[in-house]
Amino acid sequence: MNHELKSSTQPDAEPTASRSTVPMWIVVLLLVLLFLGGVYFDHHSGWFDAQVYQPYASAEELDAYQPKSGAAAMLAQGKRTYDMICGVCHGPDGMGKPNQAPPLAGSEWVNAKGFARLAHIPLTGLNGPLEVEGKDWNLSMAPMGAALSDADLANVLSYIRESWGNKAGPVTADDIKSVRAALGARPQPLNEQQLKALAE
Amino acid sequence: MKNGAAVFLAVFIALGLSWCGFVLAPIHQLGGVKQTTVLNSSELYPIGRPGDANSGLQVYRANGCAACHTEQVRQTGVACDVVLTGAGKNPEAVSNLVSTLKLDGLAKEVAEAMSDKITAAGGKAEIHIFATGPDIRRGWGMRQSVAEDYLYDYPVQLGSLRVGPDLSNIGMREPDLNWQLVHLYAPAAEAKGSTMPPFGYLFEVRKIGGAPAPDALVFPKGSGPPAGYEVVPKPEARELAAYLLSLRLNVPVYDAPFTP
Repeated sequence: MNHELKSSTQPDAEPTASRSTVPMWIVVLLLVLLFLGGVYFDHHSGWFDAQVYQPYASAEELDAYQPKSGAAAMLAQGKRTYDMICGVCHGPDGMGKPNQAPPLAGSEWVNAKGFARLAHIPLTGLNGPLEVEGKDWNLSMAPMGAALSDADLANVLSYIRESWGNKAGPVTADDIKSVRAALGARPQPLNEQQLKALAE
Repeated sequence: MKNGAAVFLAVFIALGLSWCGFVLAPIHQLGGVKQTTVLNSSELYPIGRPGDANSGLQVYRANGCAACHTEQVRQTGVACDVVLTGAGKNPEAVSNLVSTLKLDGLAKEVAEAMSDKITAAGGKAEIHIFATGPDIRRGWGMRQSVAEDYLYDYPVQLGSLRVGPDLSNIGMREPDLNWQLVHLYAPAAEAKGSTMPPFGYLFEVRKIGGAPAPDALVFPKGSGPPAGYEVVPKPEARELAAYLLSLRLNVPVYDAPFTP
């Protein structure tokens, strides 16, 4: 009895840690975890490229998934620009709006054989009376397309010339480049006579 | 304390390493994000929000919208459609070939192989790329959110809890200003069963004196104030709605490409 009491109040000396080596299984486990972490990093980090997000694993893969600029993709791009800039007045359906903008769908200016007259309108602007589909309009349009790049303007004009029943054919960026080059630095808005004086 | 210097050093190294991982590395990775251009175009992206939408961001912040709404869309994959763009000289052979092929939701390599097959038969085909994932399926965006999307927002309202839907694309999903305002005033009037609290204090309910105000809300049948009264948005409500309408995730960029 006396002996038991003594042992419960006065334990043996403080336990001390012995100097033994780290167990081998912990070393192996850590190496396996390090390896798995490395594999995960390789698959998911994109090597810290600021532009690479999941699900793309690398800059090369992201590059491979960039849409090619085929004809249909250019038209889709043109539609986006049209809806943002042109469609505000000419309407998303190309039907125009009374006292605001004449229609583009079926318009003889859009469906001309050549692109030159149509391409001038967004580049220089248009002023004064104009006959469209037998109706007289007397409005003015600012050079809404002058700030667009050649490629963007070509896409918009291609979209206008190939939508809503128009079948006039696409315009290329080089076409716009040549028109723009002939215009000079500060083109003035054209009127109907000047527009008709241009080659088609 | 025994080994005080060693303990200090160990704590310093541990905290320093996590600071490098959580602060230094992200700044090094994303700190230099700049305005970029829309894919295959020279239009700039993002362009800053209009002034009232910028004030609306502060209203959004003040009302704690980010507590229940996120502004971060995730994308789990990317897939390709092969789209026939021309039948060529032998339309019958091409259409016979196309009817035997699976052309939707393909991996890039498969899509290229299909496109080559159609080209070999004399047709013309294009590959359209689109994002996939649960968020995309819900219409919360055409692609995932990337760092550029938040370039001009301060503070960024990322949110972390989706009690309500993600709002990155709300300006495309509900482009009507009146819808947005009515929904803020009485959420259940526009979205049945909505658990969103009404934000009535952003509006003024008043007796119609003479002619109704031109900016009074137009309510769907069966909701709205009693006859003879009208609900007019205060400036805060107007700014908040302008901000919501400016949230759009429909622009393809290099980081998150898709065919528009």
